[in-house]
Amino acid sequence: MTPMIDVVFQLLIFFLFTLKIVTPEGNFDINMPLGKAAESSVSDAELQPLQVRLEAEPNGELSSLKLNGRDLGSDMQAFKRLNEEVHSIVQALQRVGPADDGAGLEAQEVELDPDFRLDYKYVVSAISACSGRMAADGTPVPLLSVIKFAQIREEN
Amino acid sequence: MKFQSHGSSVPEVDMTPMIDIVFQLIAFFMVITNFEQNKADERVRLPKDQLAIPAEVKPKHLLTLNLGFLRDSDDNIVDDTPLMFYQGDSLKPQDWATPLLQEARFYEALEQDLADVTVEIRSDGEIPTGLVQELIQKCQNTRAGSSSTQGFQRFSLKAEKEE
Repeated sequence: MTPMIDVVFQLLIFFLFTLKIVTPEGNFDINMPLGKAAESSVSDAELQPLQVRLEAEPNGELSSLKLNGRDLGSDMQAFKRLNEEVHSIVQALQRVGPADDGAGLEAQEVELDPDFRLDYKYVVSAISACSGRMAADGTPVPLLSVIKFAQIREEN
Repeated sequence: MKFQSHGSSVPEVDMTPMIDIVFQLIAFFMVITNFEQNKADERVRLPKDQLAIPAEVKPKHLLTLNLGFLRDSDDNIVDDTPLMFYQGDSLKPQDWATPLLQEARFYEALEQDLADVTVEIRSDGEIPTGLVQELIQKCQNTRAGSSSTQGFQRFSLKAEKEE
């Protein structure tokens, strides 16, 4: 028995030392073919991309979050307001149904326009606010899926 | 006066329960250990978000790019220069195109279309967004050779699940 117990303990120690506790990571997909960064692929005038503008302080913190030119604030509550706005837009689109050319919820684009120096975490929060929300039971509810960046702003 | 002998003086220990538990432990560690090659760099402090849910289906071709800062043991940024951690090197922003070209040539050798490769960007939450945008642009403009017509097109931004 002794050799077997030795080997079993060696195995146990190996697995104990190689164990790495990893926090789960998730993805936010963005689709950016070349040359499509600033221009919309949607021709329907009624389905203009939602413009999400993120302005930065000199130290990279968020100074203003705007949806289609309307200021939503500069704190983390601004992303909740953005989420509410996007949710109401999605609900309106679902009520109207797809257009004659089939363009509907899947065609609604979001264009993120952040300042160069803005901390990346705020962009992730904005993408998250546009792409979905948590239902009361803790399940994710998808909102808009076509998210892209505008042209890069100059570093100043 | 005679005492009756009980045979061996060494008491027998029943090893079976211990071996059972040890086997259970080994089975547990085998199941939870991830042997998959992980290209994630531990120095990157990903932004946290409650909607960051791990994907059920992984892309077939995945290029992982890690962007972050040099940090001390207390997690404070030591140097403000953003770096790309790539195969043991720490590359400054002006050198970020080099690994992309290497990867593009690698996929060309495999006769794999770059448009089918997902670029997974694992960026620190404090990296300036403009640098991430520039990296995406560099990926789009990367060509493996003169015959190549398009660069990387699929991008996936990573975030840590917020509990």
